[in-house]
Order: sequence, then structure tokens, then C-alpha cells
Amino acid sequence: MGDDQVVLDRLRAGDPSALETLITKYATRVYRLAFGICRNAADAEEVVQDVFLAVFRKHETFEGRAAVGSWIYRITANTALNKRRGKRRELETSLEATLEASLPTYRPDGHREGERAFLCTDWSSTPEHELLSGETRDVLRRAIDGLPAHYRAVLVLRDIEELTNEEAAAILGESVASVKSRLHRARMALREQLTRHAARMA
Amino acid sequence: MTCQEAIALLVDHLEATLDDEQRARLERHLAGCAPCVAYLRTYRRTRDVVAAEGRAEMPEEMKARLRAFLLEEMRKSAPG
Repeated sequence: MGDDQVVLDRLRAGDPSALETLITKYATRVYRLAFGICRNAADAEEVVQDVFLAVFRKHETFEGRAAVGSWIYRITANTALNKRRGKRRELETSLEATLEASLPTYRPDGHREGERAFLCTDWSSTPEHELLSGETRDVLRRAIDGLPAHYRAVLVLRDIEELTNEEAAAILGESVASVKSRLHRARMALREQLTRHAARMA
Repeated sequence: MTCQEAIALLVDHLEATLDDEQRARLERHLAGCAPCVAYLRTYRRTRDVVAAEGRAEMPEEMKARLRAFLLEEMRKSAPG
């Protein structure tokens, strides 16, 4: 955090090498979160430019209390979610319903509903290169695309950037309980699509 | 413990933040429930594969455009 404050001070003094330091340290993180929310490289690039412009213009208002990294993530999440919101407000509601249909269902006694062979489908030892190529990768990408954007924001911060529930909650301005609930529902929905695919292939 | 209760614990289970009693109850459930064992394994693997899929670097040409854009902004806002 101390180093970042020094970089912001250099930025304030008009030192171009401060920009380079910020780009090296944060550009990929900002891009991943922006892409994770927008799921489109062109939109993500616009978000990245907007975020760095905001850092460049507003660094004087940055109050050194929070870590610079969290501040940048917060600007990124807001910018990317606003971009999505403008485009597809109605869609997000229907995506919530689709997600709901991918969650496990239970019998009245609390045990899972469904055929035992399907419930026992276990593709977990499939090698990563197989999961991330061909049809399975397409299934995974479509499933991620199909999540509501604010679920994807949580998924990126928690599972890709490996932040804690508390850090993700602070960045998104949400409660920890809400972050955990979305993370769980997002993982369950993606797991379901991958499992249905594996069962079809078996 | 039911499957519904077991699956509800998975976020905390993956982070190893369950207390001893919850963990013991979950483990007892898993010992007798093949579907939940499959669920846990595929749930954990989903987390890992999502992480691997999303761990892309920002493309270099995009970084170059960002750098040029910001240097131009810096030049424009320089005093004088």
C-alpha cells in the first residue's frame, strides 16, 4: 500500500513512469474483472481505459485509507456493471430465472431429486486441458456468459483473483452473506451445466 | 444431515472455515452419500476450472493502446 501511495504521488507530479508502474501492476487485474463482467473484449477494453482515466484524474481524491488495489477494483466493478446495466437490464432478470433452474432440487426429506446415475456423475478427474478445450470449454463459456453480471463479478473476485469474501464484499458494496450466496449459486449453476454435458457424453 | 444441508456448507468447506462439529457432520454425511461425494468433487473442480479459464493476461496490443491513451491524457493535462 505504501508503494502504491508513492506511485500515486509520482503520477500527481506528472511522472510518466508512474503510469507504467500502474499498468504493469494493475492492467491485467482490471482487464480480467472487466472482461469477467462484460464477457466481451471490446467492452472490457473500454472499461479498462475508463478505469485508468479515473485513476489518473481522481487520484487526488483517493484517501489513503483503503488499499489502492481495492480502490481500483471498486472503480472497475462499478464501471463494468454500469456498462452492462445500460445494455441489458431486462436480460439480467431472465438470467436470474435461468440460473435458478440450474440449482439442485431436493425431495421433501432434504435429499436430492433426480436419477442416481446422473446424481453420481463425476467428471472431476478430467484433465484441465480437456475441460478447457473443444465442446466442454464452449459449454463452460456459455454457462459463464449466462450468469447475471453481478454473479460474475463475485466469481472473478473470489475464484480468479482469489480475494476473500470480506474483500469482495467491500469492493462490491455488498454484505459478506450476499457475496457468499452468489458465489455458491454461480458455482452450482456452472457445475450443473458441466455435469449435464459430461452425462450427455458418457 | 440432509443433502440440502451438506451442499449449503460447500463454500465454507472449500475454505476450511467450518467448525469441528459441522465438519464432522458433513464428513459423516459424505461417508454414506455417493451423490454428495460426486457433487463436492465436481463443485471443487468447477471452481478450479473457472479460475483456469479466467486467468488470462491482458493482451499486449491492448496494453500498448492503454499506454498511448494515458500518455496523451498526461500530456494534455500537463501545465503549460
